[in-house]
Amino acid sequence: MRRSWFYYATIAASVILTVFLVLVLSLIVLRPSADALLASLASSEMQFAVGLSLATASVSTLLCMLIGIPAAYALARYSFPGNRIINAGLDLPLALPPLVAGLGLLLLFGTTSLGNWLADVGLVFVFTPLGIIVAQFFVNFPYMIRIMRSTFSMINPRYEYVAKTLGCSDAGAVWRVTLPMSRTGILSASTITWAKGIGEFGAVLLLAGAIKWKTETLPIALFLNMSTGRLDMAISAALLLILISVCALYIFERYGGSARF
Amino acid sequence: MLHIDNISIDLGEFRLDEASLDVAPGEYLVILGPTGAGKTILLETIGGLYTPRSGSISINGRQITNRPPKERNICMVYQDFMLFPHLTVEENIVFGLRSRKTDEEDAKKKGREMARLLAIDHLLHRYPDTLSGGEQQRTAIARALVMEPNLLLLDEPLSALDAQTRESLVKELKRIQKITKVTVLHVTHNFEEVFALADRVAVMNRGRIVQVGPPDEVFRKPNSEFIAHFTGTKNIFRGVCSMDSGASTIRVGTISIASRTCREEGEVYATIRPEDILVSRTPITSSARNSLFGTITGIANNGMFVKLTVDAGVPIVSVLTRQGFEEMDLDIGDEVYLTFKAAAVHVF
Repeated sequence: MRRSWFYYATIAASVILTVFLVLVLSLIVLRPSADALLASLASSEMQFAVGLSLATASVSTLLCMLIGIPAAYALARYSFPGNRIINAGLDLPLALPPLVAGLGLLLLFGTTSLGNWLADVGLVFVFTPLGIIVAQFFVNFPYMIRIMRSTFSMINPRYEYVAKTLGCSDAGAVWRVTLPMSRTGILSASTITWAKGIGEFGAVLLLAGAIKWKTETLPIALFLNMSTGRLDMAISAALLLILISVCALYIFERYGGSARF
Repeated sequence: MLHIDNISIDLGEFRLDEASLDVAPGEYLVILGPTGAGKTILLETIGGLYTPRSGSISINGRQITNRPPKERNICMVYQDFMLFPHLTVEENIVFGLRSRKTDEEDAKKKGREMARLLAIDHLLHRYPDTLSGGEQQRTAIARALVMEPNLLLLDEPLSALDAQTRESLVKELKRIQKITKVTVLHVTHNFEEVFALADRVAVMNRGRIVQVGPPDEVFRKPNSEFIAHFTGTKNIFRGVCSMDSGASTIRVGTISIASRTCREEGEVYATIRPEDILVSRTPITSSARNSLFGTITGIANNGMFVKLTVDAGVPIVSVLTRQGFEEMDLDIGDEVYLTFKAAAVHVF
């Protein structure tokens, strides 16, 4: 069968994109010498960055789950006044540049009386690791909400009805039936949220700053070392970020199953 | 036992409009009605999943109108089973006992007994998605019955099953209700389930309960045109069936009807489809075992077909094509023979 030019053109587009992607990524991988790379990876600065990234992303993901899952449940199950506005509003951070989000957070915690009061009771968010967590949380909770909302709305509410006639309270039915039935959704939502948290840069930069040995997550480490010309260190940070993204993508594709966002 | 007094609720698409109903202890009440009549929402309101806008529900004299489901001990079985997919058959069955904080050993023992009663005790470790439809529905029924509920609500429990499985589950439901003496409200749109199971039948339409009574009474003396039209079935007879050397005979009033089987000896219902009855002016010699003689008492012409009502001791309805009717030149008061095969008599 004779194919049209359109057939070849669209395939060519996909091939060019893939070559471009592989070229860019392989430069990062192949550029430094193995010795220099291992030395950078073993450096205590890199280890600090890895530790800080893992810790902040895990805590911010946990926060997203604690607040995002109940919110997503309400949006999926209940019709209440303002449902639609809240639904649309909570998606907004997806379209918001993280830098803008970071600026807003900096203004909130750095210039308002609420921020001052929080600082007085010991919760300092400006230029601290605590700020990293809040920045990641703010930028990433929409992913949690979107995936969980679609997960919950795919589960027939009659499962909960049956659980309630079998002696469960509203919360009990969700805990014993809906949440276990949502476990693939929860897994993929947390994986995405966590991986996005690890890679978050713009909002973290503005709220927590780029302070070596203090708020130096992997992306910040990449940025700081790049600006001071330490290419091996920057590249090893980038390599670790690539590794984490690939793992997260694998988990999402492998176990996420029907989850959508 | 269950007393529903004028409940109304509006959920947009579905609604109840001052529905009232009384159910006696141990009764098997079947609720019949067209799609959208409000049957499911009635069950869900009784179960406590919705609060009615007005009216009241009481059970054993206790007001439960505003009580949450878990304080009612009314269990529900849906058409599509709603088994918890992350739990095994056994964990599904004891789910409710666990919410009651029943001792774990005790719960398992009760669960196994109930599984044995429903003949699913060999499936206890399987997950729901590995079971057939019939097995899933047995599990759902066991999960409800193990709670020893005040009331068992069945929402079209047999509609998702094939004919054979449905038939065996009908027998099973009958047997289990005899053993457990549980009070049942069973929603269906299948007439056979009504005759096979119901002590009484309630007909619903547009959110109201329009007639309640024993099945033969509701079908034979419908109190409104809607019920007559909805039930639609003509030629329903209640009689006593007896078997004699392989042939079975049903005595209905003054006439005898031969049928192929009795299903069970004693009181039965039988129907004959009007189009299975041959009408003639003279007796016909054929292999058909039923030949009745009677007088035409009614003629209804609806274009393509003509419906005859013949008094042959009991009123029997037959349908002719328009052409056949005109060729025979029939009129009210004419005497005719009605011939039909034993196999055309449907016994249940």
